[in-house]
Amino acid sequence: MKFSRSRVDDEIPTASMADIAFLLIVYFMLTSTFAATRGLDFALPEEQEDTPLVDKEESVLIEIRPGGQLIVDGSPMPLDGVLDYLKPKLERNPAKPVIIRPDPNAEYGYMVAVFDELRQAPEKIGLEVRNVSIPTQREIDMFWY
Amino acid sequence: MRLRSRNIQNQGIPTASMADIAFLLIIFFMLTINFEVDKTQVGLPRTDLRFEIPKRSAYISVTRQGQIRVSAGDEVSVPVPGPGEVLSFAASVVATDPGRAFVLKADRDVPYQYVDRVIDALKQAQAEVIYLLSEQATVEEG
Repeated sequence: MKFSRSRVDDEIPTASMADIAFLLIVYFMLTSTFAATRGLDFALPEEQEDTPLVDKEESVLIEIRPGGQLIVDGSPMPLDGVLDYLKPKLERNPAKPVIIRPDPNAEYGYMVAVFDELRQAPEKIGLEVRNVSIPTQREIDMFWY
Repeated sequence: MRLRSRNIQNQGIPTASMADIAFLLIIFFMLTINFEVDKTQVGLPRTDLRFEIPKRSAYISVTRQGQIRVSAGDEVSVPVPGPGEVLSFAASVVATDPGRAFVLKADRDVPYQYVDRVIDALKQAQAEVIYLLSEQATVEEG
């Protein structure tokens, strides 16, 4: 009488491992989003009692109207003319304060565009605009004179 | 006498290393995946200069209609009724981690008054730095 040998496979079955791995890849590819993770940094000043007030006459005031029109020190100006206007002032006083004051109804994108332009001053005119401030309406009501 | 040995060629594609390659890809995705804490759909402003935002930054999003959502960076963003709540949210984040960056994700067409109130709340909460989230400006726009 013959007994059939029953052989037990002693290896771990790995045939489906590639399938599982590729399923995981597909999951990660579908769920990962290419999120925008870059932007312009803007350091906020510390609020202190003894913060020096800037006189309007000592600074350059950039007003932004709805629709994106810029009024620089009372005169209309295109965005690409702002740095040329600032250059001689910065040569005389490298710490010249520049105040950006958007109209409450102006679109936020124009404020960012002006700030972006000022940050590019080292590349465009070879001078840095060190002192940029964007006062909020509360600060204007409290300190503006 | 045999003159020629049979030269049998394996016709299958070798798949032994496929699992290794797949697991390498999985590790890559696991390391690089960025879970988006705020999925609010906004049209971001476009800038030429853009800097990398630190991981685990707190997010504040403002839609074109002025609706605000906040996230401390660890959880999915939640809506808040107004700028007053942004101040309490920002104050709690700063109290926990004074150096944490805030990301302002605002629609480029939102009236500035909404953004102004958020920035004012962040100033009052003594946040140190804000990142104005933006898209890369194209050459034509520049």
